[in-house]
Amino acid sequence: MSGLSVGMFLFLVSVGMSLIFGVTRIVNLAHGSFYMVGAYLMVTLVEVLPDRPWAFWLALVAAPLGVAVLGGAIEVGLLRLIYHRDPLMQLILTFGLILVISTLVLLVWGPDNKSVSRPDALAGSVLIFGQRFPSYYLLVLGLAPVVAVGLWLIFYRTRWGMLIRAATVDREMLGALGVNVAALYTQVFAFGSWLAGLGGALAAPTVAVALGMDGDVLTTAFVVVVIGGLGSFAGSFISALLVGLLQSFGILVFPAVSIVLLFAIMAVVLIVRPWGLLGRPEE
Amino acid sequence: MTASARALGLLAVVLALAPLALPPFFLQLLTEIAIVGLFATAFNLLMGFGGMVSFGHAAYFALGAYAAALLVKRAGVPMLLALPAAPLAAAAGALLFGFFIVRLTHTYFAMLSLAFAQIVFTVIFKWKSLTGGDDGLLDVWPPAMLKSPAAYYYFTLATVALSLFVLHSVSESPFGYALRSVRENPRRARFIGINVRRLQLLAFVISGAFSGLAGGLFAFYNGSVFPDFAYFTKSFEPLVVALLGGAQSFFGPLAGAFGFKILEWLVSRQWPVYWPLFLGTIVVLVIVALPQGFVGLAGGQGWRTRLIRKS
Repeated sequence: MSGLSVGMFLFLVSVGMSLIFGVTRIVNLAHGSFYMVGAYLMVTLVEVLPDRPWAFWLALVAAPLGVAVLGGAIEVGLLRLIYHRDPLMQLILTFGLILVISTLVLLVWGPDNKSVSRPDALAGSVLIFGQRFPSYYLLVLGLAPVVAVGLWLIFYRTRWGMLIRAATVDREMLGALGVNVAALYTQVFAFGSWLAGLGGALAAPTVAVALGMDGDVLTTAFVVVVIGGLGSFAGSFISALLVGLLQSFGILVFPAVSIVLLFAIMAVVLIVRPWGLLGRPEE
Repeated sequence: MTASARALGLLAVVLALAPLALPPFFLQLLTEIAIVGLFATAFNLLMGFGGMVSFGHAAYFALGAYAAALLVKRAGVPMLLALPAAPLAAAAGALLFGFFIVRLTHTYFAMLSLAFAQIVFTVIFKWKSLTGGDDGLLDVWPPAMLKSPAAYYYFTLATVALSLFVLHSVSESPFGYALRSVRENPRRARFIGINVRRLQLLAFVISGAFSGLAGGLFAFYNGSVFPDFAYFTKSFEPLVVALLGGAQSFFGPLAGAFGFKILEWLVSRQWPVYWPLFLGTIVVLVIVALPQGFVGLAGGQGWRTRLIRKS
């Protein structure tokens, strides 16, 4: 169960990362930082807002939006300048952003761990198959299919989703057909950041909100995206669940090697199918 | 005698006389610069000359550091015999991982190298009985005759200078030029009879070996080794240094190491907390504004190429 909900957070982060890669061809290493900012914004919003039942839900909506604005600003201010450059320069730039964001978070929120209390309605736990589970995890698990279906609807049933899919296949052609590709990039980047922020905001009540969380999430989300296939939406979903489960069971069965196992699987996938389970080969 | 050879000779004299004028602290800083410079130059053999960007070079740095430290701590081998084990262990690791990594290109090359580095990090972190896990291995000091800052400075300087000479010879050898041709056009290189993968693997192993030597030197400089040596943030150090200095020239990373370490010292002396912010901002600015690094700026190259590309 907790494995599934970890998979859910991972899915939100990695699908955003994968989406951004699919459209802009940028592997956004700062994606874990967006997740962390989402969690910290959640902390502040829950503190600042009046102590009412709706405050938690308002924060849950507002925190990811804040991250989306941050992501959009980064895209317009920095990434837009370097799309024509070597992809590795883009990778290094987003790595520089990790350092900048983590220091800024330290300066704004201080070095101490923070926590977010769960909303009253979900503070308890429920019995499932004779085992106690915090009801908050049920919310997370309930949201998983909603988000997955929502994303599917967006990608396959809206014009915007169609443009995104078109952009992943052939950007130049899309631009030649009169679509404002630059604006689409910004939107996609902001949307991907929003997903990471949502993951962070949702995860905030289940973990200690701390400074190292960007790196932890980044490495795992990275594995998820690579196993699933960069730019593949379904691939991220399957592989996030797989990795989430593997992590929580791995820790029970063979604690010492669970992370090695994760990276070993990633290495095997990269060797056998470098473009991931459901991705497309690099041209 | 060419101008660059004269400049090198002058630099050698200045560095050799440095202990007479500088307090121990600055000798330590120079020692660190030399080690980081070697690490970044070894890394840049892949990036600058081979067009292969590894995101996991910390793995080889750490393999070298731990191989040397383990031999001293667990087997009681004297330091001067343990140090040569550093490049050997790193080369073995680079051969094993590189065999798979060079099969991929570009982004995937970078990602698989990162994955292997994370495996190395995790193994070091978890294998407490051998590596000490999170606590690292302490008391890894060189013998008494090399223990003073000046002595270790000379030792490092000599080792690094020798290594740079070897790396420079490699980069100027037919092998080095074959490597450049693979960077420019792998398919064409294959047509003229170059075994691309074997060449890339060999470059990977050489680069790994010297990264390991840098790790070994750092272990004895630091007196201890920690799992952080293999962490992914460490992998970005040579990348940033090479980028700052200019990856297109052989001595770029060395200049980058100089700038990087001096800047790190200046900034973290005043505001230790701000150093990552500073570094991150510099990285972002260099990428957006100075594609050729600072060495490129000095030569006026950076702006010219930018203008040409824009027009």
